[in-house]
Amino acid sequence: MNRDPIEAPARPANAPATETALRAAGIEKSFHRGVPPRRRRIEVLKGASLEVRRGELVGLVGENGSGKSTLMKIVVGLLERDAGTVERGGKLGYCPQTPLLWEKLTVDEHFELFARAYELDPEKTASATESLLAELQFERYRGYRIEELSGGTRQKLNLALALMHEPDLLLLDEPYSGFDWETYLRFWEMSERRRDEGMGILIVSHFLSERERLDRVYELRDGRCRET
Amino acid sequence: MAFSGAEFLREHLRARLTLAMLVVIPALFVLVSASVLGEFADALGGSVTGDSASALGAGWAAAFLAGALGFFQVSSSRDADRRLALAGMGAARVAVARIGASILLGLLITVVAFLTLWLTAGIAHPPHAFAAILIFALIYIGIGTVVGSFLSDPLEGSLTVAFIFLIDAFSGPGMSGSGGVAQLMPTRKAADVLIAAGAGQGSPASDWIAVGLTTLGALLLAAVAFWLSARPRSA
Repeated sequence: MNRDPIEAPARPANAPATETALRAAGIEKSFHRGVPPRRRRIEVLKGASLEVRRGELVGLVGENGSGKSTLMKIVVGLLERDAGTVERGGKLGYCPQTPLLWEKLTVDEHFELFARAYELDPEKTASATESLLAELQFERYRGYRIEELSGGTRQKLNLALALMHEPDLLLLDEPYSGFDWETYLRFWEMSERRRDEGMGILIVSHFLSERERLDRVYELRDGRCRET
Repeated sequence: MAFSGAEFLREHLRARLTLAMLVVIPALFVLVSASVLGEFADALGGSVTGDSASALGAGWAAAFLAGALGFFQVSSSRDADRRLALAGMGAARVAVARIGASILLGLLITVVAFLTLWLTAGIAHPPHAFAAILIFALIYIGIGTVVGSFLSDPLEGSLTVAFIFLIDAFSGPGMSGSGGVAQLMPTRKAADVLIAAGAGQGSPASDWIAVGLTTLGALLLAAVAFWLSARPRSA
């Protein structure tokens, strides 16, 4: 996994996106399910390729079971691929579809834990935490344990943890499930602002209706990505 | 900022039921083992009585709790740990933090089991008994962790840990026999040391070396299991 940070200057708003933040090519992935004699091989990805440039908001859409989350997990490094290549540059932020959190720890403790992982200093940790809590409007829950939070608030924390180190590449797997309408709109404002500042963003979704919010869209069908 | 893994320990200590079980299970094992273990051992063809039975009960209580906690340390937080490792913490640091938290939990379990034994039955050889109970706990942290790295389903994992525990306990010294496969059971030598401590006797150096090596092996296996669970999958 490439964790070496690449310092990239912020891209001016509306400037063309050129520098590649993510390139995945020829990704193949199969799963084996069941036990003999009913064991079968399910081919999910059959050479999927996509690219995200800095300062670009790219969508990955497809039907349920088309392999969107599988492709995302391979790109992130949570799942091994059978074939293909993945190239990433800069700091990575990843927001999984299901919040991956520790039930007994508080919101603040999660920020502290991820700040250590991202190697943020105390000052930067405090400012990032305050700013994300305010931006996503869940400051009053910072002392709550995860088990005490609603699904929407867990999802806010899930997203905030992916953003707190200001990554160069942000991978979001249906990040707004559980959000109310107001938070959903705020999420898009946040994403567009970060895109304008030079962040490359890949969003998995199954809503084609979000097409107009995205710079480019890949549709994952029959195991391959097709730019629409 | 340093990462001590205190969060992982806190995670368990905030679970009220876990804390309650830390008190209830040792008390149950020690009290019950003193009265029925002798009869049970008779039925299995062995012989263990009195203070040795109580001491053995404390060891088993520690093993049972540590096995369950070891399993859940891996299985319940596997995906979140992997996310943390991927975010920059690295699988090795996550594994070290998990091992550290496990050892501290094992120590806590040992203290509770030891105090229960001391208060209810008394101990003729306290330092040896404490060490042997701790060894029971650490060996079962290794077993629980390894099971957790293969099985994620809580029911399957808990049953597997319980199954290993039962085979180990029932084939232990003073129970069903002393030869063959029974010699290969993970807590065999620790049980010898604990029974001897319960009866106020010391143990030979060879037994201490054997339990030391078994414990070290169990902790190494646990470290590998934690690392495998947390490591990213990219090539």
